[in-house]
Amino acid sequence: MRTDLSRHRNPMLLGIILSFVFVVVGAVWLSQSQETLDKVAEHLGVTASPIWNPPIPDYEIPGFEGNPLMNIVTVTVFTLLVLAVALIVGKSLKAKAKIQD
Amino acid sequence: MHIPDGFLDYTVCAITYAGSIIFWILAFRKAGKNLTDKQIPLMATLTAMFFAAQMMNYPIIGGTTAHLLGGPIVALTLGPYAGMISMTIILLIQALFFGDGGITTLGANVWNMGVIGVFIPYAVFVFITKIRRSRRALLIGAFIGAFLGDVLAAVFAGLELGSSSIFPYAASIAVATMVIHHSFIGIGEGIVTAGVLSFLLKTRPDLLSLPQFAQLSAKELEPPALIR
Repeated sequence: MRTDLSRHRNPMLLGIILSFVFVVVGAVWLSQSQETLDKVAEHLGVTASPIWNPPIPDYEIPGFEGNPLMNIVTVTVFTLLVLAVALIVGKSLKAKAKIQD
Repeated sequence: MHIPDGFLDYTVCAITYAGSIIFWILAFRKAGKNLTDKQIPLMATLTAMFFAAQMMNYPIIGGTTAHLLGGPIVALTLGPYAGMISMTIILLIQALFFGDGGITTLGANVWNMGVIGVFIPYAVFVFITKIRRSRRALLIGAFIGAFLGDVLAAVFAGLELGSSSIFPYAASIAVATMVIHHSFIGIGEGIVTAGVLSFLLKTRPDLLSLPQFAQLSAKELEPPALIR
C-alpha cells in the first residue's frame, strides 16, 4: 500500500510519533554505544571524572539496568520533557521579542 | 562527540565556555525575532526528535558507533540562533540527567555541536543557495552543510582533546581520529538533513526559516520530472 507522507500535514504530531519510534529503535535494536571518543579513552585507560552524579546514568534507572521497556518509558518521558522545555523557551523568546518591538 | 568531565583541561573548558556564552547571548537576543509563531511548535518537536534520535547508535567503522546530531536540520528549519538554543536544551538535559557529556565540558559540547554544528551548515547552505537558486541547490547545500558541520565539530573536539594534558597524543592525531570517524556520521547527517528539508519543502515550506534568496516559488519547488 502506498503511503503519501505529504498527507501528514501536522509536523508536530508526526515528529512526536517519529520520536517514539526513535526511542524504541534506540532502546531495543541500536542501544550499544561505542563512540570514537569512548574507544580512544578506553584504549588509553582514561576515565571520566564527573563532578555531578546524574540521577539516570547512561539512560538507565539504577536497579533497572538492561531493561529495554524501562529504558523506553524513561526516555519517552524525557523526550516529552524536552518537548515541553523547548516549547516554553520558544514561546518566551517570541514573547520577549514582541515586547521589545 | 559528548565530552565528559575530566577529559579537558580547565583552560580549554574556560575558553569554550566563553565562546559558547557569546553565542548564547546572541542567540537569546535574536532567536525570538527570527522565529515565527508557527515555528515554535516545530522548534519544540525538532528538539524532542533529535533528543530521541541521539538514542539510536548505528555501527560505523572499527567497532565504533555513531548517532545523528541534529544541528544542521534545526539550523536550516529554525535558523541558526533558535537552532543553537535547541541544541543547548538537548545537551543540558543529557548532561544533567543522564551524564551524557559533562558539566565542566558543557561549554565545549555546546561549542562543537551547538555552534559549529549549527552555524557552519547554515553558512554553507547560504553560500551554495546564493550561487544557484533551485530546489536541487537547496538540497545539495543542506547535504554539504550538514557534512561539513559534523566534520568541523569533530575537528574542534579533536583540538580540544589534543590540547588537554589527559590525552597524550598531539592535537593533529586527535583531530585525524575524530575526523575520520565523523565523516561517516556527516554522510548520514547530510542524507537525513536533505531528506527532512525535501519533505518540509514539499509539505510545509511556510515552516522553514530559509533566507529570503533561498525561498523558491511553488513552481521552483516542484521536484524534477525524473524523481517525481
